[in-house]
Amino acid sequence: MKVSLNWLKEYIKVDLDPLVIAEKLTMAGLEVEAVDERYNYLDNIVAAKVIEVNQHPNADKLFVCKVDAGGDELIQIVCGAPNVYGGMFVPCALPGAVLPGDFKIKKGKLRGEVSAGMLCSAAELRLETDAAGIMDLDGNFVPGTPLEEALKLSDIVFEVDLTPNRPDCLSYIGIAREVGAFTEPEQKVTFPDYRLPEGKIGDISIHDSAKVQISDPDLCPRYSAGLLMDVKIEPSPFWLQDRLESIGLTPINNVVDITNFVMMETGQPLHAFDFDRVAEGRIVVKRMGSDMDFTTLDNKNHKLEPDMLMICDGDGPVALAGVMGGENSEISNSTTTVLVESAYFNPVSIRKTAKETGIATDASHRFERGVDPEGTVNALNRALTLIAQVCNTTTIAKGIIDEYPQKQAQPEIDINTNALNSRLGTHLDVHEIRHILESVDFKVEKTDEAWLKVGIPSFRVDVTRPEDLSEEVARLWGYNNIETSYPMAAAKGKLLDKKVSLREKIGSIMTGFSFFEAINYNFVNENSCDRLNLSDRDKRREVETILNPISDQMSVLRSSLIPGLLETMKKNISLQADTLKLFEIGKIFFATQKGSLPEEREVVAALITGNRSDQSWYSKKKRFDFFDLKGVVEGLLQGLIIGNLSFEKIEDQSCPYYKNGYAALVKSGDTLIGTIGQINEKVLKNYGLKQDAFVFDLDFKALQALIHGNITAMLLPKFPSVSRDITIIVEKSVTIGAILNQFEKITQKQSLIEQVSLFDVFEGETLSENKKSLSFRVVYRAANRTLKEKNIKKLHTNISKTIIDLFNADLPE
Amino acid sequence: MQNNIIDIEKQALESIEQAGNSEQLEQLSIKYLGRKGVLTGFLRNISALPEDQRPSAGKRANILKGKLEKVFKNAFSKLESVDGKDFTGIDVTLPGRPAQRGSLHPITQVANEICDIFLRLGFDIAESPEVETDYYNFEALNIPKYHPARDMQDTFYVSENIVLRTHTSPSQPRVMEETKPPVRIISPGKVFRCDSDVTHTPMFYQIEGLMVDKNISFGDLKGILTTFIHQFFDKQTSLRFRPSFFPFTEPSAEVDIRCVMCKGKGCRICSKTGWLEILGSGMVHPAVFENVGYDIEKYTGFAFGVGIERMAMLKYGIDDIRKFYENDIRFLRQF
Repeated sequence: MKVSLNWLKEYIKVDLDPLVIAEKLTMAGLEVEAVDERYNYLDNIVAAKVIEVNQHPNADKLFVCKVDAGGDELIQIVCGAPNVYGGMFVPCALPGAVLPGDFKIKKGKLRGEVSAGMLCSAAELRLETDAAGIMDLDGNFVPGTPLEEALKLSDIVFEVDLTPNRPDCLSYIGIAREVGAFTEPEQKVTFPDYRLPEGKIGDISIHDSAKVQISDPDLCPRYSAGLLMDVKIEPSPFWLQDRLESIGLTPINNVVDITNFVMMETGQPLHAFDFDRVAEGRIVVKRMGSDMDFTTLDNKNHKLEPDMLMICDGDGPVALAGVMGGENSEISNSTTTVLVESAYFNPVSIRKTAKETGIATDASHRFERGVDPEGTVNALNRALTLIAQVCNTTTIAKGIIDEYPQKQAQPEIDINTNALNSRLGTHLDVHEIRHILESVDFKVEKTDEAWLKVGIPSFRVDVTRPEDLSEEVARLWGYNNIETSYPMAAAKGKLLDKKVSLREKIGSIMTGFSFFEAINYNFVNENSCDRLNLSDRDKRREVETILNPISDQMSVLRSSLIPGLLETMKKNISLQADTLKLFEIGKIFFATQKGSLPEEREVVAALITGNRSDQSWYSKKKRFDFFDLKGVVEGLLQGLIIGNLSFEKIEDQSCPYYKNGYAALVKSGDTLIGTIGQINEKVLKNYGLKQDAFVFDLDFKALQALIHGNITAMLLPKFPSVSRDITIIVEKSVTIGAILNQFEKITQKQSLIEQVSLFDVFEGETLSENKKSLSFRVVYRAANRTLKEKNIKKLHTNISKTIIDLFNADLPE
Repeated sequence: MQNNIIDIEKQALESIEQAGNSEQLEQLSIKYLGRKGVLTGFLRNISALPEDQRPSAGKRANILKGKLEKVFKNAFSKLESVDGKDFTGIDVTLPGRPAQRGSLHPITQVANEICDIFLRLGFDIAESPEVETDYYNFEALNIPKYHPARDMQDTFYVSENIVLRTHTSPSQPRVMEETKPPVRIISPGKVFRCDSDVTHTPMFYQIEGLMVDKNISFGDLKGILTTFIHQFFDKQTSLRFRPSFFPFTEPSAEVDIRCVMCKGKGCRICSKTGWLEILGSGMVHPAVFENVGYDIEKYTGFAFGVGIERMAMLKYGIDDIRKFYENDIRFLRQF
C-alpha cells in the first residue's frame, strides 16, 4: 500500500524525518519497502521567465518565445497557449523531462521553428485541473529554479508491504494509528467527521425507494447502503484528484473517486450503483445458485459459479460481491441517483470468487483479508458527506439502510502477563503491557495481579488468542529490546541420520575421485521417458505430472537422474566444456494411487564423458571408456565397505538407453544395487549429443542395507610374500570374470594364495583371431613362515594346470 | 709385485685427485675397493705368489686398503660441498602432473556448513518428503484453504491435495507427530514454488529448524539465531529482528543482517536499505501444537527457516540465483 505523508498528516501529527518514520513502521511490522519523493517526476522542469513572444511565421495559433530558463543563453520554445505574455513566469519542461503520461520532452522543430522545451499547463503537470492555458506562476523567481522548489511542493510516498494479517493497515487511519504509537508523546488518530451534514439531507427517505435483502447472511453478515439524489457526475476537484494521484490511483469521476478515497482512508471498500439501473430499487445479496455469464464494469465477461456471492437487483446480478461491480449498473455520465454500498463480506467467499474469476481489486484484497465489520456505517456516512460536498447539487436521502442480522460480539481475551513474559523472555510489568496495548487502541482492564482482560477492537481481525497479543506487545516494545538468551536443554544427542551420513560418505568419495556434484531440477521434460527410449511397461514411465508447470521442459517429476545429467552434459558441451565427471544424489519419484503421495526413492548417479587424459607433456589424449566408470563404482563401493561385488552383463532390454553389450548390473552378492553402462547412439541423438557418455545409477536403499559400518582391522603379515605369474591363451569368449571366479574358488581351498590379479590382456598380432592372451599374477604368502621356492613352484604349477585345464587354455610359445 | 701395489696406489691417488664429482668418485671407489675391485683382486691372487712374499703383500695390500678408504672418505666430503653448488637439476617450472580434484555443489557445501553449526548446538537432522500433502504443507501449519497467506507461496500441484512442498516447514508437524517434546531438529531440503526469474528458481533449498521444550522463549530464539549468524558470517555481523507474519508462528520475526557487501551503507544487493533479509522465524503458533497434540500450556517452542541460496550468494558473491542449477562446470569448479 502506498501512503502519502501529506495525506497521512490529516489523521496524525507527525514531524519525524520520513526515513525515521519508515524505520519505525518497519520495526513495528509494517515493512516500508521504499520511500519516494512524490514530485520526482518534476525533474528537469524549472520556473522560467518568458522574455519575448513572437507570432510563429508558419502557424497562426502558435507563438515563438524566447525564454530565460536559467541557462547562459535564452532558449527558444514554440508554444500554443493564448495566455502567454512577455515577463510571465511559467513552468518550463527542458529536454530530458518526462511529463505525467510518460511524455518525454526532446528538442525538436515545430513547423520549421526550433523548440527546445515545453511551457506547461498546470493540468499537464498534475498540479491543478486547469488545462486552459500555460500555468502562470504568480510571483518572482530566479529563472532556472526547480519547479518543486519554486512552488514549495513536497510530499513523501511510502510503499508499505503489508503482511496478510494486517488488513486494518490497508488504510490511512490504520497506518496513522501505528504512527501514533511511536510518536513522542504518543498520539491518537484524528478521525474524520462521520456525521451526515444536516443541510444536505433531503425529504425523501431511503426506505421509500430502496430495499436491501440479505439472503445468505453467512457470506454477507452486514450490508449498509445510502442513497444520493441529483448527483452530477463530473471530474473531481483538484484536491481529490491530487490525493488519489499521490498514491498512483487514476481519478475517474467525483462519485467513484470519493468511494476510492474513503476506502483508502478507512479501509472499507465501497461500491456505487447507478440506482436508476437497479431494477425495482431492490438489492438482494445471495449465492448465485446457478451458472451464468456476467459482464463486469471493466467490460470483461465471466462465468459465474453457483456458490459465488452476488449483489442482485430485481432482475439479476448487478455486482460480483466485494470484487467488482457490473457493467449494467455502473456509474456513467448520465447517472443522477447513486446507491452507495458499504458491506462486510465473508473473506473466504470473496477470495474464492476472486480466485475463480481471476479478478483482484483493491476491494477484494481488503475483503479477503477481513475488513472491520463495525466500520461500514462510518465509511458510508463519510462517502455520502464527501460526495454531497464535492458535488453540491446532491441531496442525501434521509436515513441509511443497515442490514446486520447478527451483530458480532466484541471479543475479549484474558492474558496472563507472566505467561506472556515467559513466552517472550521479557520482564514487563502489568502496567507496561497495558500501556503498550492501549497505544494501538486495545481496551485493557486489569482483573487480577497478573491478569489483563483485553477488548479486541473490531478492526483487528487478526487478534484471536493470547499469543497474538504477545506479538503485539513484542513488536511495540521492540523485538530488538528483548534480551537475547540461550535455551536450557538436555544434553541428549542422537546419531546422525544414516541417510545423511551415507550421503556425506558418497560425496567425499566421489569428490575424491575428482567428480563434481551437480544439482538438477526435480522436474524434467515431459518427453524424458521417450528420450530414454523406455518401453511402455517400464516402471519409470509411472511419473507424477505437475498440473501447473512452468513449462513443458519442467512438467514431470523425474523418475531417473539420467535425463538431468544428460541435459547438464549437453549444456556444458555447448559451453565448450567436453570433459565432465559429474555425480548427483537426489530423489526420483513414482506415481502411486491417485491422491496419495508418490514414492520417493533416493539414488546416486554419475556421468563421465570426454577425455581420461588430455594431450600433455606426460600423457597422450585418451578417451574415457566403460572401465573408467566401472573403476569408480568399484572404488565407491569399496569405500563404503560393500564387498562381494559382481558386474553382470545386461542381456535384455531393461535399460534401453545403454548400448547393447556395454552395460552391466551392479550387484553385491544377490542384491541388485544398480546399473552401469554406455549411453547408446539413439539416446545420445535424442539429447543432441555426439560424444560417448558413461553412466551409473545406484539405489540408495540398497546401498544402505549393505553397509554394516564396522571395520575390523586385520593383523598385518609378518612374513614376505612371493609372486608368480601365469600367462594363458584362451578363446575370446571366455570372460575374465569366469577365470577370476575359478581362482577365487581355488583360493578358498588353498590358504597360501593371498591375491590373484590380472595384469595384461593381449589380442592380435601373433595370436589367432579368436584367441586372447591373459596374464595373471598370483601372490603367495604363509602366515607363519617364509615360503620356500620348491613349495611355491609345486603349488603354482598345480594351480596353473587347473586353470589351463578348466579353460582349455594354451601356454604362450 | 711390490711395484704392482705401488702402481695401484699411485693410479688410485691420481684418479681420486682428478675426480670431479661424487659419482665419479663412487665409480673409483667401486673400481679399487669393490667386491670385484682391483685390491680385492690383488688379495685374491696372493695365493699365486711365492709363499714367503704372501704375508708382506697381504699386509701392504690391507694397509693400502685402509689408506684408500680414508682418502675416499675425505674426497667424498670435499666433493659434497662442490655438489651443494650445482643447482642445474630439473626444470621445476614444468607443470606438475595434476592430482585432479572434484567438489560438492556449493549449495551442498553451504547446507552442510549450516547443518554443522546446528549439530554442534545439539540439533538433530530430520528430513521429510519433497512431495507433500496439502495437510502438512498448509493446514497443519495453520494455513487453511483460501487463506490469503497462501498467496505468499506460489504452489506447484500434482493433484488437488498433493503439492511440491513450498517450504521445509511440513517437517515441523511431521516430526512432532512422531516425537514427544523436547524436540530439537533441523530439516534441510529442496522446496518448490512456481516462480522463475533472476531472483527466483522454481526449486531451491531451505533449512527448517524447530526447538520445543518447557520455557522456550522468544529471547532463546534470538540467542540461537544470533549464534548461528555469528558462526556463519562472523562475530561482527550485526543483526536485527523485525516483526513479520507467518501463519504458523506467533510472534513472527524476519531476521536481517547488516549488508555484507556495503556494510550497511546501502547498495544494489540490499536495495539501499543496508539490511539483508536472510531468514524467517517465530514462536510456534499454538494452533500448530494443537494440530499435533502438544500441550500448549506446558510447551513453547520456536521455528525458523533459512534460504540456503541466499546464504551461498552472500558467502560467494553470486548475483544470479539461476547459476546454481545450470551446473556449468566452470561455475562448479570454483568451489
